[in-house]
Amino acid sequence: MSAVEDTIKDIVVKIVHCDREILKPEATFQDMKADSLDMVQVLVALEDEFGIEIPDEDAQKFKNFGDFVSYVEARVAEKKGNA
Amino acid sequence: MLKGKVALVTGGSRGIGRAIALKLASEGADVIVNFFRRREAAEETAREIEALGVASQVIKANVGDPEKVDEMFGTIADSFGRLDILVNNAASGLPRSALELDAKVWGWTMDINARALLLCAQHAARLMEGRGGKIVSISSLGSSLVIPKYTAIGVSKATLEALTRYLAIELAPRNICVNAVAASMVPTASGMLYGGGGKPGTSSPPPTTPAGRLVSAEDIADVVAFLCSEAAFMIRGQVIIIDGGTSLAPFSLE
Repeated sequence: MSAVEDTIKDIVVKIVHCDREILKPEATFQDMKADSLDMVQVLVALEDEFGIEIPDEDAQKFKNFGDFVSYVEARVAEKKGNA
Repeated sequence: MLKGKVALVTGGSRGIGRAIALKLASEGADVIVNFFRRREAAEETAREIEALGVASQVIKANVGDPEKVDEMFGTIADSFGRLDILVNNAASGLPRSALELDAKVWGWTMDINARALLLCAQHAARLMEGRGGKIVSISSLGSSLVIPKYTAIGVSKATLEALTRYLAIELAPRNICVNAVAASMVPTASGMLYGGGGKPGTSSPPPTTPAGRLVSAEDIADVVAFLCSEAAFMIRGQVIIIDGGTSLAPFSLE
């Protein structure tokens, strides 16, 4: 598991109060029992944590936890590349 | 009419905020479009504003977060050095009844819908120093009438309206006019969450008003622009209801 994925799990567990074990790549947001406010708060926490931006236009395409992690990892890598 | 003025519209990327941003721009104001989640929409609104021959800038900030509000006004001070108009429009909330609400949803809703006016007005008053300005907030009929599952938002709007009255008096010596508008349901993406357009899959007609149609975002923008004009100078701390008569006629006359 990447350090980014580990941090994402920390944030999701803290905000959504779900079991860390369910955060598999195929887990959907329904599996996490996350409402729309939970999801916004997770996105905002990730933006602050990683210094990236995750607009809703992109976030709406996420189907499961794996999509989420891939997106954030790509944005973090992109940011490092630009630094 | 607003030529040379600098306006900030919070939540200006879409819906009512977007209509207000475009209206103020059409009257000659440079318009800063604040957004939280939708950059593409904000940038599209900014492009439309610039096409009207005035300046625009997009600023990302959650107005429910005091640090982000500080940063936003820091950016405005750096870019424009002043502010003449604040339109406090950004709003959020979830469809929940009182017994379904938890502290998190309540806090989120109150911070974005009500506390943001306080924080933004404090910053705006500093950027209006010596010249005065206009502050207009967007409320809704849910501040005084009961709308299903609108509990936290309705209460936050009541707070917003009370704060509008206090600010109107406290900022009057600084030549700042503070008012609000309260609209009935507007068929934007957010408004449709609360019963717009009739029930899908049924023959129930779409809702209307005694005026014969629903309120549009442009109807609200027109009144906001008026409240931002010198013609409204003597209107202070008021909530102008824009509802086509809905709140006066709860019972059908037919």
